[in-house]
Amino acid sequence: MNFTNIDFDQLLGMSDDTNPLMMLIWILPIFLFVFYGQRIQLFVTSGEIKKGINKLDGFREESRNELIDYIKKNLKPDDDPVKKINRFLDYFTIMPVDMDPNGIVDKVRHTVRSREDYTREHIQSISPEISDLELSKVQTLLEIASSLQMIYKIINHMFLTAKKQNNYPLILPLQMILPFIMEQAEAMKEAIPAFKAGQPVGDGIGPMVVGKMMLDIDKETVAFQTVLAKTKFDNRTLFLLKAEGPSSTVGRPADALETIVSNNKLDAIIMIDAALKMEGEDSASVAQGFGAAIGGIGTDRFQIEAIATNNKIPIFSIVVKQSIKEAIVLMTKEIADQADEVCSQVYEMIRENTQEGQSVAIIGVGNTAGVPQ
Amino acid sequence: MIFSKKKITTAYTVEKCKKCGMLRKRKFAEGDVLFSESKCTSCDGITSIEKIFGETIEQ
Repeated sequence: MNFTNIDFDQLLGMSDDTNPLMMLIWILPIFLFVFYGQRIQLFVTSGEIKKGINKLDGFREESRNELIDYIKKNLKPDDDPVKKINRFLDYFTIMPVDMDPNGIVDKVRHTVRSREDYTREHIQSISPEISDLELSKVQTLLEIASSLQMIYKIINHMFLTAKKQNNYPLILPLQMILPFIMEQAEAMKEAIPAFKAGQPVGDGIGPMVVGKMMLDIDKETVAFQTVLAKTKFDNRTLFLLKAEGPSSTVGRPADALETIVSNNKLDAIIMIDAALKMEGEDSASVAQGFGAAIGGIGTDRFQIEAIATNNKIPIFSIVVKQSIKEAIVLMTKEIADQADEVCSQVYEMIRENTQEGQSVAIIGVGNTAGVPQ
Repeated sequence: MIFSKKKITTAYTVEKCKKCGMLRKRKFAEGDVLFSESKCTSCDGITSIEKIFGETIEQ
C-alpha cells in the first residue's frame, strides 16, 4: 500500500465546508469547554494544590516528630509526652472581638500572654526539672509545629470545600496564596534544626548587636526575659536593652522601656531589628529610618509608640533586610558580617541625634536564640 | 523539580583571640553560643565567639 500520495484536504474535508465529521471536530470542543471548562480547570488546578497539601502534611508530621524526639531525648519525661503534645498542637487562640476597638490592644496582649504562660506551664508539667533554656527551645518548636498544623488544616479545609462544591472560583484564591504559604511553611520547617541546636537565626541580628555592646557591663533583668545594661558613650547615657539570651525568646522590650522611662528621662530611642526585604533588594543590606522597628502581633509596637508619644521621644531605627526564610533559619554569613557595620551606625546615630549629657535607649529587637549578652 | 539540586547548610563558628587577633573558623559544635570564651590555641590569650552562621552549598 502506498502511503505517500494521501490527500489531506480530501481526508479532512478541508475543501468542503459541509463535511459533517469536520464540523463535529470543531464544534464539539467548543461545547465541551463552554459547559465543562471550569471542571477541567478545577481538575488541573486540584492536582497542583493537592501536591502542595501533601507537602504541608509532610512538614506538619515532620515538625511534630522532631518535637517529640527532642522532648524524649533531652527532657527525659516520666510519662509518654505524645498525648499531651498532640493536645497542645491543636490548641487555638480566639482573638478578642474588634467591633469596638477601644482597648483591643490590652485584650490582645492579655490573650497572647495567657497562651504563652499556659504553654510554658504545661511544658514544665512534662518535665518539672527543665531549664529555662530548654523550655524556651521546646516552646519555640511547639509554636512551629502548631503553626504548621494550623496551616495544613486551613489549606486542606479550603481545598476540600472547593472540591465538595465543585466550585472553581472557590479554588482560585487558594491557588493564588498557596506559593506564599508554601514559602512560609518551608521556612518554618527549615528553622527547626537551628532552634534545636540553639543557633542564632537571622532575626537575631538586633540582639547580636546590642549583646555585643553589653559585653563586660553589669546587666539586670528589667522585664520578663529582658535584660538591661547601663553604660556611657561620648558623655551620653546608654540604656541597652535586649531579650535574655541565649534562650529562644524575644523578651518584653515594651515593658522594659516603660520601666526605664518611669525612672529616667530619655532623649532618643534607637531600635535595631531584622526587616523583610522587598523582592530585588539585596539580602543583609542595612537601612535607617524612623518609627518603631518591631514585628510580632503589634502590641509591643503599640506600647513603644505610646511611650514615645507621651514622653515626646523620637524613635530611630536601623534594620537589616532579609527574606522571611532568612529571618527564621540559621543566620547567614552575610547577615552575621553586618553586625559590626550596624554597631558603628548605632554610635554614629547617637552622635548625630543627641547632645552630650542626654540619654538614649538602644533596643535590640528579635529572637535571641544563641545570642547571650 | 527534577533538576533542582539538594541544598545542604553547614553551621560554622568563628572565634577571635582578644590578644593575638587570630581568627579561627570551625564547624559549629553543640553548646556554642555567641561571645562565649575559650583558650586561644596559638597564644595564651582568650578567644571569643564572634559569629555563628550557616553556609549553604548545592549538591
